[in-house]
Amino acid sequence: MRRNRIEAVILRHLYEIRHNANHLINMVYWPVVNIVVWGFFTTYLFGRDGLQPGIITDLLGAVILWGFFNGFQRDMAQGFLEEFWSRNIVNLFASPLSVMDYAVGLISVNLIKALIGLTAESLIALVCYRFNIFPVLISFLPFIANLMFFGLAIGVVVTGLIFRYTTKLQVLAWSFAGLLMPFSCVFYPLKALPAFLRPLALILPTTHSFEGMRHVLAGEGFSIADFVWGLALDLIYLILAVLIFRKMLESARSRGLLVKME
Amino acid sequence: MAVDDVSFSINKGEIVGLVGPNGAGKTTIVHMLLGLISPSSGSLSLFGRKIGQEREHILQRLNFTSPYMAFPSRLTVRENLSVFARIYDVRDPTVKINELLDQFAIRKLENKPVARLSSGEVTRVGLCKAFLNNPELLLLDEPTAYLDPLIALEVREILLDLQQRRGTTVLYTSHNMREVQRMCSRLIFLSHGRVIASGSPIEVTRQILKEHRDAPALEEVFIHIARQQTNAAK
Repeated sequence: MRRNRIEAVILRHLYEIRHNANHLINMVYWPVVNIVVWGFFTTYLFGRDGLQPGIITDLLGAVILWGFFNGFQRDMAQGFLEEFWSRNIVNLFASPLSVMDYAVGLISVNLIKALIGLTAESLIALVCYRFNIFPVLISFLPFIANLMFFGLAIGVVVTGLIFRYTTKLQVLAWSFAGLLMPFSCVFYPLKALPAFLRPLALILPTTHSFEGMRHVLAGEGFSIADFVWGLALDLIYLILAVLIFRKMLESARSRGLLVKME
Repeated sequence: MAVDDVSFSINKGEIVGLVGPNGAGKTTIVHMLLGLISPSSGSLSLFGRKIGQEREHILQRLNFTSPYMAFPSRLTVRENLSVFARIYDVRDPTVKINELLDQFAIRKLENKPVARLSSGEVTRVGLCKAFLNNPELLLLDEPTAYLDPLIALEVREILLDLQQRRGTTVLYTSHNMREVQRMCSRLIFLSHGRVIASGSPIEVTRQILKEHRDAPALEEVFIHIARQQTNAAK
């Protein structure tokens, strides 16, 4: 890994953000729309009798964290897709830039973008709905990091699949996180899922992040078990993701697909 | 199989033409040298090192242009070149970029997004990128394919001037046999993924036409091979 090459990738994507309004929309517009809609919904729920205490903060916290995860995962895959769309992938792969240089540069840019979205959502939740995430943010950080690692693993797998099966699979960049959402216990606790689905939920790092978030919001402190489980699963998925990516890239290279990507 | 049993070496400072009809394997060889395509068997060495094992080191020492590449279209010419200057770790990137923009006569386009350039202008941006790192080996895949005759002539002159001043080794592919004859001191003629002749333009002409000639006739050679290839396919 070389610093100048990582900086080049960061610079390339910062230029893209400057010229392409889609990035600003993904970075700020959708997170803001999301929190506004869910904010109104929780305001409506607030007036209902029989509502369990804490459910509103759980919902708003989940919206903010899911927005972070979804945005980060999408931008990781989309960052590579932009190179395919512009046919710049040949220039990059025929340069001394390594996949690792590219990935680190892209992670840096996307982390900043996802954090801007998270901050915008948190501020709106605070100002409009009096939900203050900031005092518990420190306790959330390990869970946010786990979401980021899982988003990275998904982004790496999706990119590998696109290398091998070309951009006809690009829809995965936007849809993969949605597929996981019902089993990730984003808006409801694990025990709300049918018993037969719980093992599936438990092997997703996202479930542990959202369970951990609910622990914090319920005033039960930081759940070390949820953090450690999430981290361990992330490590496994990251290793698998890198292996899949390498296999797909090698297959794309031997079939000459890198030069035919569009 | 696009290429089979191809082996050649290039001397330092030489301009070697890699020529042949469509489907002969020229671009495949260029892509293999760039590590974009892995050979199904055998190995590939550049600067005495294997591309599969020392990719970064090798690619730092060479550069290329190809009609298969493009640049991020929303970024300006200067932004694109700045990104690649960092990738290749160019010292004084601003000075270097200015120098190349002037040499290829596209300084006035520096703040234009690539999307608004003509294909000939994009080709020249590609050539600027190719010279950013003062490559020891330059792979030029159809570098004048989208240029009008006047610009193509200017680009050839610039390429020859830069090559002579820096002693860059060049592997050149083109369908324009007059251009190849003018640019290259040695040729490697391919057909069906195999080397069928190599040497100076006059040597290649004699080898393929199997008769004595006093002057190179590469266009005739090309048509001869292309017809053979078409007849074989029927």
